[in-house]
Amino acid sequence: MDKISNQEIKTQEILVNMGPQHPSTHGVFRMVLSVDGEMITDVTPYIGYLHRGAEKLCETMDYRQGIGFMDRTEYLANFNAELSYVMAVEKLLNIEVPERANWIRMILVELNRLSSHFMFVGAFGVDTGVFGTPFLYSFRERERLIDFFEEISGDRMMYAYFRPGGLAWDVPNNFEQRIEEVLHSSEQGIKDMDQLLTNNEIFLARTKQVGIINRDDAIDWGMSGPSLRASGVDYDIRKAEPYLYYDQIDFNVITGNNGDVFDRYYVRLQEMKQSISIVKQCLKKLVDGSVLADGASRNLRTPPGEVYIRTEAPRGEYGIYLISDGDNRPYRLKIRSAGFSNLQALRDMVVGAYIPDAVVILGSIDIVLGEVDR
Amino acid sequence: MTDNENNSINENMLKIFDDLYSLLDENIQDINFKRIDQEEKLSPVDLIVVVKKEQINSFLMQLKSNPKLNFNYLRCLTAIDYADEGIEIVYQVYSIDNLYNLTVKSHLSNDDLYIDSATNIWKGANWHERETSEMFGVIFNNHPDPRNLLLPEDMTDVFPLRKSHPLAEIEVLQGEDIEPSVGS
Repeated sequence: MDKISNQEIKTQEILVNMGPQHPSTHGVFRMVLSVDGEMITDVTPYIGYLHRGAEKLCETMDYRQGIGFMDRTEYLANFNAELSYVMAVEKLLNIEVPERANWIRMILVELNRLSSHFMFVGAFGVDTGVFGTPFLYSFRERERLIDFFEEISGDRMMYAYFRPGGLAWDVPNNFEQRIEEVLHSSEQGIKDMDQLLTNNEIFLARTKQVGIINRDDAIDWGMSGPSLRASGVDYDIRKAEPYLYYDQIDFNVITGNNGDVFDRYYVRLQEMKQSISIVKQCLKKLVDGSVLADGASRNLRTPPGEVYIRTEAPRGEYGIYLISDGDNRPYRLKIRSAGFSNLQALRDMVVGAYIPDAVVILGSIDIVLGEVDR
Repeated sequence: MTDNENNSINENMLKIFDDLYSLLDENIQDINFKRIDQEEKLSPVDLIVVVKKEQINSFLMQLKSNPKLNFNYLRCLTAIDYADEGIEIVYQVYSIDNLYNLTVKSHLSNDDLYIDSATNIWKGANWHERETSEMFGVIFNNHPDPRNLLLPEDMTDVFPLRKSHPLAEIEVLQGEDIEPSVGS
């Protein structure tokens, strides 16, 4: 790279606008690239096109209505977003969630991680130029998961199934059998993805040693989730601060070595296998019983206090900072989304890369603009 | 992680925190220890320190650079509007190597909404501060890029997350003396 930039031929630096309506920005995201020939010398990201003021709206809605807003911020991993929120409310109320509800929650958030990562792998294939096959295959698998979520919650995307104190209703009778079917097809789906992409020479050429971010920078930028672990940081909230029953489950934290685009892809692919293993272990431990705590009424009123709850969502730390003044709605609700912090680090990865790499690097962070803008 | 390990981490942290407390006691207005209970898997805002806004930058710098503490990760930075009582800036910091949590707060009065930026300590503070700035009208001194982040570029005189800001615009109905409906 240095050789090229040090050559005597000078080109004029030009600005290239990308987005907000661009198929590779995964939503409405705009960045202005300064390019010197084919090389990117600077990047200015613009976000906020999807800002709906979820935090302000939640201040005017009671606790149950807030669940719906969590779905709309993180629309690819809704269960994970709902989980942080209901756990924050439960913490303030100090209510004990029934064991069955917690196991079902764990199963659902892991399956949601699986569906979110399938979405990533498929879309990432398109970003690297492998249009068609991986995208359609991964969407087929995601569709099976979403069908399953619909059977449980009644909706394909906006589930609103978790409640402070448990779940909205119990799962259908064929729950365990359906999970086995879904997992069976997902396992095959992961193998397919692995075979289609991981050793593909063109894919490797596009992803290896591209968009590198080192360990210290990744931490400094506040990155989290698979994007942070790809840089070699062994940090997973499920292990570091176990919530639900993650301390009773055996699973590995997958880390990368190089912090490049390929590692960010590969960490996610390996994580999907871990999710399947977690779900299988949870199914064995699933118990019968009630799914809603006794103290959880429709109109909840929390005692004054504040709480910060973080959970490991597919994109990283999804935190809810909830301040209550004793009313039936939050005094202030802050959503700390993983994509917001991960996207900040984009500049460090993109500067020095070539124009087509910008798309691949952006894809590898796996942003959901609904979560970034809130 | 077992409960025992969890407890020893917290106890270590409290010890280290005692050192820090003696080091910085004139800067710390109020210190609020909240131990994580053994049964509780997820900690609430574990340990809260309130720091005067003049010392916030040196205090945060010490949190990061002190090898014993090593708070190298800024989880979240936000503000809370307490209407007439001013605005509180909240930092959620974390040490990835030691697994410590800490919440740092600093209070701003409504007539002096200036505070030093933390971008020289954690690069990740950049966007969080831009968001806090446009939403609450807090000015972060020495911020490298103080533009609006989520709001339109020219929306610099309206602060949507303040309690004084209504959710809906007041509707003015032409030629009628109907009471306008206002969102809370």
